[in-house]
Amino acid sequence: MIYSEVSGTLIKILVSKDQIIEEDTDLLVIECMKMHIPVTAKKRGKIIDIFIKEGDLISEGDKLLEVVYDF
Amino acid sequence: MSWKKELEEKLIREKLSENLGGKERVKKQHDAGRYTIRERINILTDKSSFHEIGKISGSATYDENNDLVNFTGSNFIFGNAKIDGRNIVVGGDDFTLRGGSADASIREKHLKCEQMALSLQLPLIRIVEGSGGGGSVKTIETTGRANVPEVDGWNLVVESMGTIPRVALGLGSVAGLGAAHLACSHYSVMVKEKSAVFVAGPPVVEQIGQKLTKNELGGYEIQLKSGAVDAAVDTEEEAFNSAKKFLSYLPNSVYQLTEQLITEDNPNRTSKWLIDAIPRDIKSVYKIRPIIDELVDKNTFFEIGKEYGKSIVTGFCRINGWSTALMASDPYSYGGCWTSDTCKKVQKFVDLAETFHLPVIYLVDCPGFQVGLDAEKKGTIKEGVRAMSAIWQTTTPWLSIIMRNCFGVAGAAHKRGSSYISRCAWPSARWGSLPLEGGIEAAYRSDIENSNDPNAELEKITTRLNKLRSPLRSAESFLIEEIIDPRNTRKIMCEFADLAAPLRKIGMTSRTMRP
Repeated sequence: MIYSEVSGTLIKILVSKDQIIEEDTDLLVIECMKMHIPVTAKKRGKIIDIFIKEGDLISEGDKLLEVVYDF
Repeated sequence: MSWKKELEEKLIREKLSENLGGKERVKKQHDAGRYTIRERINILTDKSSFHEIGKISGSATYDENNDLVNFTGSNFIFGNAKIDGRNIVVGGDDFTLRGGSADASIREKHLKCEQMALSLQLPLIRIVEGSGGGGSVKTIETTGRANVPEVDGWNLVVESMGTIPRVALGLGSVAGLGAAHLACSHYSVMVKEKSAVFVAGPPVVEQIGQKLTKNELGGYEIQLKSGAVDAAVDTEEEAFNSAKKFLSYLPNSVYQLTEQLITEDNPNRTSKWLIDAIPRDIKSVYKIRPIIDELVDKNTFFEIGKEYGKSIVTGFCRINGWSTALMASDPYSYGGCWTSDTCKKVQKFVDLAETFHLPVIYLVDCPGFQVGLDAEKKGTIKEGVRAMSAIWQTTTPWLSIIMRNCFGVAGAAHKRGSSYISRCAWPSARWGSLPLEGGIEAAYRSDIENSNDPNAELEKITTRLNKLRSPLRSAESFLIEEIIDPRNTRKIMCEFADLAAPLRKIGMTSRTMRP
């Protein structure tokens, strides 16, 4: 599970369901404190679910993506 | 007549104390994937260097002739030892005996361990598991009365925070006084999935309606984010190595200074890519850790508190061989804005550097304090002024390098106003009381509102002010001492470290740090 580490507005979703993601790739972009902060993959995995949509207000700790690492 | 007989009995008692809580309990400890306290001390310390104090203290049973039948050691083991050839004091709980609780403990051993480290001016490593010598409900029955709570020797703990490095390793479930010992340290480590830290464990917490597992209540993901613990690693061996690494940057006590290590990294090494490290688009972020790794002596950055107050990265490093405390903004967390947690992290880190006479280098990209309702609810301004005060109270040599943003009160905290600091900025630096974005709308509201084309007016004002806020203009008025080529930053840092080294003074700070 990937949770938000900041509060802000989700401005971009860069991945889709079932997509394989590589370590260090940007998955989402959150506008926070007037900056565009990417949420990046800490390791290789596969997107299982996306819990948010562009324009959503996000709070710190909100569930963003479900990712599996063993697939 | 010799004293051989007595010495033989002493050896028997020592041998028996090595049985810890007995075969069954030791097996249980191993089955849970954890070492016993004696194994831990053996792995942590240099071979055969552990000199145990009070090995035959514990409880014995005797026959009708008052001859020894059995002996069990107390559940706290301590002594002096060496790690990497350097003297330290180590003390740890034996979880196989009453979970490390007071029932099977001798209180004076804990006190003696603290006194020993403090008096010999040696770093203390506490290995904590269980309740760390704290009482349990069972104590009422064994003693026949309830005790008024007190923590004997806490004065020693407090004093040592300002005198010797304290490292605490939480290697299992840690509760109550054990959790207090873990938190009351300069650096604490737990083992992922195998350690949990809490004031009280799941059975107690269930009484207030929270049904949680140990990990859900006090696992590493909780305690690293809360700032109660500094680091989590995968194995006990890694925890021991982290303790060694942390101590390698510190003197034995405040009465010593760290020495310069020989480095093969050239102090004049330039870094071509740093000219492009900061994006021109002010909304774009960049990764700070590769920049840190580039600037410090190769492979020497040791991060502390990575998961806590993440807008600031803190850690020790070597600069031209000198041990140095490094802080750097991380725009990936709230754009580098100081949150309430960030402020608390800064307080502790700056106090740590001041206590052990480490010069500070701060790589600045701070747009201000975090703003908004969440920030207000967390008392950001209160923690912010405490962080500023901690910085103002430092006397250790200080270098600030402003890389990008430096705004507002939090931005102003890049330096102390109380004494000299070294300072420079990259050409990408931007500063002011408030960032232009949002600030213009507030300061020029009537101009914008009364304009026929508010957007065009806003654009016009922004362009005008952008030209004025060039860092070169500020340098013209000597508001910033120097604009440097980012590629030469390491050279500036090494020069600072060389200049700072002879200025470091031994002794306790007038206001010792709290955990």
